[in-house]
Amino acid sequence: MAGSLSVDLVAAQPRAGAGGRLIRWALLRLGGVLFVLWAVATVTFFALRLIPGDPAEAILGGPGSQASAEALAQARADYGLDQPLFTQYLVYLAHLATGDLGTSYALRESVSSVILTNLWPTLLLAVLSLAVALAIALGLAVWATRGGRVGTAIGSLLEIVAAAVPHFWLAISLILLFSTGLGWLPPVSVPGPLGLVLPVLTVAIPLAGFLGQVMREALLDAMDSPFVLSARARGEGDGGVFWRHALRHAAIPAIGLVGWAFGSLISGAVVVETVFARQGLGRSLLNAVQSRDVPLVIGVVLVVALAYMVVTTLTDLADRVVDPRLRRS
Amino acid sequence: MNRTLPSLAAAASVILLIAGCSSAAPANTEPVKGGTLVYATGDAEPTCLDPHVGGNYPQALVATQYLESLVSKDADGEIIPWLASEWVEADDGLSWEFTLRDDVTFTDGTPLTSEAVAANVAHLQNPETGSSTGYLALQNVTGVEAVDDTTARITLSQPDSGLLDSLSQPWLAIESPTALQRPADENCESPVGTGPFVVTAWDRQQSITLERNDDYTSPPADADHEGAAYLESIEWRFLPDSASRYAALQSGTVDVIDNVQPDTIVAAEGEDAIEELNAPRPGASNRIELNSSKAPLDDALVREAFIRSANVDDSVTSLFFGTAERSYSALSSVEKFGISKPELFEYDQEAAAALLDEAGWTETDAEGYRVKNGERLELDFPVSTNQSIPAEVSLFEQLQSTAKEAGFKVNLEPLDLSSWYGALGENDYDLVSAPYTKVGADVLRILFDSEGTVPAPSGYFANHSQVKNPELDTLLRDANQASDDAERADLYAQAQDIILGGFYVLPLYDQQNHYLLRSDVKGLRAMPTVSTPTLYDAWLDR
Repeated sequence: MAGSLSVDLVAAQPRAGAGGRLIRWALLRLGGVLFVLWAVATVTFFALRLIPGDPAEAILGGPGSQASAEALAQARADYGLDQPLFTQYLVYLAHLATGDLGTSYALRESVSSVILTNLWPTLLLAVLSLAVALAIALGLAVWATRGGRVGTAIGSLLEIVAAAVPHFWLAISLILLFSTGLGWLPPVSVPGPLGLVLPVLTVAIPLAGFLGQVMREALLDAMDSPFVLSARARGEGDGGVFWRHALRHAAIPAIGLVGWAFGSLISGAVVVETVFARQGLGRSLLNAVQSRDVPLVIGVVLVVALAYMVVTTLTDLADRVVDPRLRRS
Repeated sequence: MNRTLPSLAAAASVILLIAGCSSAAPANTEPVKGGTLVYATGDAEPTCLDPHVGGNYPQALVATQYLESLVSKDADGEIIPWLASEWVEADDGLSWEFTLRDDVTFTDGTPLTSEAVAANVAHLQNPETGSSTGYLALQNVTGVEAVDDTTARITLSQPDSGLLDSLSQPWLAIESPTALQRPADENCESPVGTGPFVVTAWDRQQSITLERNDDYTSPPADADHEGAAYLESIEWRFLPDSASRYAALQSGTVDVIDNVQPDTIVAAEGEDAIEELNAPRPGASNRIELNSSKAPLDDALVREAFIRSANVDDSVTSLFFGTAERSYSALSSVEKFGISKPELFEYDQEAAAALLDEAGWTETDAEGYRVKNGERLELDFPVSTNQSIPAEVSLFEQLQSTAKEAGFKVNLEPLDLSSWYGALGENDYDLVSAPYTKVGADVLRILFDSEGTVPAPSGYFANHSQVKNPELDTLLRDANQASDDAERADLYAQAQDIILGGFYVLPLYDQQNHYLLRSDVKGLRAMPTVSTPTLYDAWLDR
């Protein structure tokens, strides 16, 4: 009865208090986001300057470009690289504060517009991959929990294998199987949904392995828990128990992992966008790092960090919806 | 349907039978007009489509389709007319007069005149353009005078026999002076030349679209046909991953691929639908340079010992599956002034041991490495993972183990391009392998002249073996100023004697440049200048 007492106490708080807590929570969260963005920008800025070589060379077509001294001097002056490093940093931060991400050295285009054109292909890839991964993970988990001991063993083996395959190897294997072998799908990105199948599978399969492992554990856990027993006692059938109670329970750790999974989606995007020659942020980032395109690297890293924080905030909120206990604590 | 299918099959088998009997009977003997060819490149995506800006190989590859140079080269390495129909060197060697064709128009409607040549040289020499390769090639050029509409006089600070070679390169192609006046960004996006194709769209990280120039009139003297190109358009795709690039070729998604790896070439030999074009790049051969500026490789005996200890032949054969031929020259096999000295590079562990004994590296430590005055015989070898393909990295690993037999500890350090240049700039290397593409033997002056040991403000220098030999400097400079071919050949031979005989380099093979194409792509050839493919004569037999 102690439990119900504490619930009553929380429920007795005035509503304004709950609103105040939400505002405070939001403000703290926003402050955290700004701090992380500043830290990411600072670390990336200085880390890129620690790499040997001259950024002016990056502007003139990459390291070892045999640029003349005059051309290098011109480039340094144009991009403010002749200023002391700390001055460059302050200038950069000042621009950043106004939302100006600067101009890409290599593409000679504003970083914002490079990011905007590359954001959607990557988001599409990430969202589709996440959806497919969740579907596969759920299928595996359901099959594993309902298929008896052999089903569980095969299911968990599949999950481990799926979770362990490197993106690069998987991408090449899928190409060999579906393009070179069967001739069903294009080996490189083409416009239209057909070109998305292999890239999405490449990102989704390892992710599904991870998510499936967690969801299966939670499902098994839930099927054995007292509330399932009580639901059964009330006369609910197997299906009802499974879909209405156990699944909801299993969703909680999976939602928590979606935030983490986002990081995996971005690293997957780097590989997938390179192997399948897809346009996107991952490939932009790789090119930018290779050509020492400092403004573009920082810009992409900031966007990824921001997206990551948005996703984790959303998953926190989703957790509160799915798990009533969190709303009260 | 029931009756047509068997008769079709019968007809097909008859055709196959005929085709099989007479091997010289393709389906179409006359080139087919029209169609889109998809070219997939594994090279980097250019940051600017105008090769005056910067000046690297990815730019040369695509610019060959829409820009043209004053002169070209034929398969024998002789300079042939292109936008210039004639040229004369002044007696003092301090100026050249180029006569331009009078019937050529840039694709924006601007006529080709001597003013255009002047504008292009000025553009290349302007620091704001940020030219590297073109800028270096024009170092002796003091200006261009427009004598009349079709006569351009290029003036020089000193005679330069490499001028024609330089002008034949895609990095010095002639662009519309009207277009060059546009802002740099715009010119990078859509450079305007006189070529058989025109840049119409550039979708970053995806492709460049090139459309046929219907009014094209200026093929080089060794082209197969005249008038407009056969292909209606080209889709120039960027496919960085070599496995998916080959899969795309196999499935017919693309028609031509470049940057083909040795194992892929071997795999493609078994495919009837795929053919290979091997076009090694000019300039220097791929080689390991030995840093002679510091111990232990400042001792010629130790340099020779390392070279004798390296079993290059067997490694090249096993790792490149016969797709690369061993080189014994500092120059590419396509350079007419190159000389080969196989006898200097024979694998001989006994000789290596004797040389090390002679050089005073007489002791051997517990791990089998040679020691002198308590110092172990170690060689640092930074390897650029961006430039060396996997087979080449494996080759270096095998050389590491054969050098170990002689008592060398070779430290292979895989580095990304920036860190690699960083290590070079700080003289923190004993061995290094760096590619260099340029038309003509004058590349030797860039790579081995004493001046090349002085780093540019960027830290870059080209003379990685750090040879400082006044006699060699004089030979290379004289060769560059001599206009007589026989005299140049003699001077370059003497220079190469010093370079190879001094054991400054270990030649490996030509810079690899393999293309794979679907067999219904006809007429594709590589330009004899820097071996970039030209799609002007190409057509699709389908």
